[in-house]
Amino acid sequence: MLASVPSATLLGIDGQLVEVEVHISNGLPSYTVVGLPDASVRESRERVRAALISSEIEFPKRRITVNLAPAGVRKSGAGLELAVAAGLMIVGGDLPSGCLDGVGLIGELGLDGTVRRVPGVLALVDTLARAGVGTVVVPAGNAHEAALVDGVEVRPTRSLGELRCCLKGEMPWPPPPDPPPGRPDPGGADAMGDLSDVRGLAVARTALAAAAAGGHHLLLAGPPGVGKTMLAQRLPSIMEPLGRAEALEVTRVHSATGQVHDGRLIERPPFRAPHHTASPPALVGGGSGRPHPGEVTLAHRGVLFLDELGEFPPRALDALRQPLEERVVRISRVPTSLELPADFLLVACTNPCPCGRGAPSCTCTDAQQDRYRRRLSAPLLDRFDLRVSVSAPGPDDGPGEASAAVASRVSAAIARQEARLADWPWRRNAHVPAGALERLVPLGPDSDAAWRDAIRLNGLSGRGAARIRRVARTLADLADRTDVDPPTVMLAASLREDVP
Amino acid sequence: MTDAARVTPGLDLPATRPTVAAATLVQLPRMRPDRLRALADRWPDPVTALRAVCRGQAAAALVHAAGPRSDAGRRRLAAEWAAAADPDATARALARRSTRVLLEGRPGYPIKDPLPDRPPYLLSEGDGLEALQRPRVAVVGTRAATPHGLADARRLGEALAEAGATVVSGLAIGIDAAAHEGALAAGGLVVGVVATGPDVVYPRRHVRLFDQVRSSGLLLSEAGFGTPPEPFRFPIRNRIIAALADVVVVVEAKVTGGTRSTAGHALDYGRDIWAQPGSVRNPAAEGCNRLVAEGALPLLDHAELIESLDLTPRGRRDPARPPVPAGAPRAVLAACGGEATTTDQLVSRTGLSPTEVATAAAILQKGGHLIRSRGTWWPT
Repeated sequence: MLASVPSATLLGIDGQLVEVEVHISNGLPSYTVVGLPDASVRESRERVRAALISSEIEFPKRRITVNLAPAGVRKSGAGLELAVAAGLMIVGGDLPSGCLDGVGLIGELGLDGTVRRVPGVLALVDTLARAGVGTVVVPAGNAHEAALVDGVEVRPTRSLGELRCCLKGEMPWPPPPDPPPGRPDPGGADAMGDLSDVRGLAVARTALAAAAAGGHHLLLAGPPGVGKTMLAQRLPSIMEPLGRAEALEVTRVHSATGQVHDGRLIERPPFRAPHHTASPPALVGGGSGRPHPGEVTLAHRGVLFLDELGEFPPRALDALRQPLEERVVRISRVPTSLELPADFLLVACTNPCPCGRGAPSCTCTDAQQDRYRRRLSAPLLDRFDLRVSVSAPGPDDGPGEASAAVASRVSAAIARQEARLADWPWRRNAHVPAGALERLVPLGPDSDAAWRDAIRLNGLSGRGAARIRRVARTLADLADRTDVDPPTVMLAASLREDVP
Repeated sequence: MTDAARVTPGLDLPATRPTVAAATLVQLPRMRPDRLRALADRWPDPVTALRAVCRGQAAAALVHAAGPRSDAGRRRLAAEWAAAADPDATARALARRSTRVLLEGRPGYPIKDPLPDRPPYLLSEGDGLEALQRPRVAVVGTRAATPHGLADARRLGEALAEAGATVVSGLAIGIDAAAHEGALAAGGLVVGVVATGPDVVYPRRHVRLFDQVRSSGLLLSEAGFGTPPEPFRFPIRNRIIAALADVVVVVEAKVTGGTRSTAGHALDYGRDIWAQPGSVRNPAAEGCNRLVAEGALPLLDHAELIESLDLTPRGRRDPARPPVPAGAPRAVLAACGGEATTTDQLVSRTGLSPTEVATAAAILQKGGHLIRSRGTWWPT
């Protein structure tokens, strides 16, 4: 006798449809799982058996074969267990064979028969929905998250026994549990702090607003303790909240790594601040077995903040160059290759030199400075449109502008960009390729002269010249100007310093 | 092969020219300036010295020098030298690189004073032979120079070259290189004294500068071909710079460092020392200010230095700079206060907006009133 139950497993951050086939036949009692299961799936055998017995369901003492189709894809994680258990109940006669038509199941089992939450439910339910499954049974703890997917009916379940009764129609499906009350959103305004907490740093603030509005990567260089990190951490407070489509993308990513949050949609841009001991796979993704998304993917549509940039291993930093350029990260593993989203804003802080003082009171030797600068490769530094040197606030510098005011300017600037770029494939000024600048960022004669002066006086490369032009456009958007005037060009040039 | 056969080349040394003999001695393994000096003190004629070395008699000369401490060590070194001395190979190397050898006490040797620690032989490469005929000014300073220091060293190099003086320096990063470059840009002659072999370029990034020095001046070294940069050689090399120069000018120096050793040697040799004073807040000026406090002549005006050499300063003025525009640019320049300043500080000090400060700074940069370097604005 054969039962077939749809379920799904995670591949990177995407779901992969898995048809769980359970076959039972006469012969010596045995239980075999085939179809490229990894260790965690193979272990599920014991959990399924114990959960069935604990739920007072008979475990068939016959020859059982579980096949996970398609057989060529490696399955991992415990999320297929609920589907296996349901298949066993059908072949064992505990459930009528038609009751699972058009129903997908996702969930991990405890030995006592409880159904436990699994990572990546958003992606898994989405996959089942796209495959035409009308109803999905998910662990009660994942019900809110699963409900974010349109076009599918979500049935929460708490235990295997309950699932059996509900499927047989002996009792109604339980309502989704209440979301846990009151825990503040970790990305919420209170946790982020406000820009008015930071004194001085007028130039760095301008750069921060430009980064938030135009998607320009930002490097802050300055002595320790002047407020670089404080400023950078307040970047999310001036960024636009995510739209629904973006929020779903971000929630999907975070759900897939198991960093779930109460099943709520992530509506603030994520802010990721990995420590400088991070390895290259931790930053860009990878790892053995099932490739895991790295920090660049977790920072998708948000901010990747690297404090003490010079302390990161050079190999890890150089691994960032490809995702920075293409806004996706490609991880190749035998036999599959994955593409993960990585459209993030890079914000980094560094000291100007090993002693941290910077000109004019720096006491480093030439060789020390040289070595320090060499840690940051020129191609990486070149990808920062905004490179600003920060110095300690003066005695008269008061608290700066509050986040709310900056945020409204940033929103307006983003609206201007979106209107301008509506017919083009780019979202932000920073993404406009050099070839399209002449058309999308035209400069009047005076501004063009100022731009050429800046290139000559600062010895900018062609790429550097294009970068200050994009930044100038963003600054003009922030100032609500249609044209890019010469002072804006000069300001853009001053935001590209030769640091560290 | 017997030992006698191996030393045979040394025994018919009368055929060897003194310059080749001297270069052969310089080229010996584990040769150091003090050991070379000891050999030359014992056997003033390089041919005699080489013959003694080939016979394995060098140990006797090393007794009082900083040679190996034990008798056995000295004998081992002497034996090593006797085996390694190869006048023919050295002669070929000299010919291949057109390297000249300057011998103490012979015409062409540039250090006139009988200083006790002067190098007995110097290897010299380059086409600017008359560089040594002119008044010689050593321009030295820190490797970690500020943009101000670099600009000053460059301008000093130019002024000296235009007045007809030769700029002597060590081809190091920072002030040394800037002074050389200034002199070369003004069409002057330069002498670079290196601590490595004359065929080794150190630091690597100066490979073009080395070529320019060879074509418009001389490259001097007391070390054999292929000698790598060894830390102990640099302060010793500085004595040659001090000995070669008629006066020594320090542009920017830290309190510790190689420049202090050059100044110390210059003091021992009775050379005039000029030091360019700087802000007490500039660590790169501290060494100079200390030198002035200890009695060095303060370098306030390049013309004064040039006149002290009985030369006439050429009245080459800097190209006229446009006047500082009134309003924001003037306020910004005043807010710099003569020091390196970030845009942030300028905003904070002037109360202007970042856009206004950036615009003013760009105008000042275009007019030549400000230099931009490593995230800071430097008034010129």
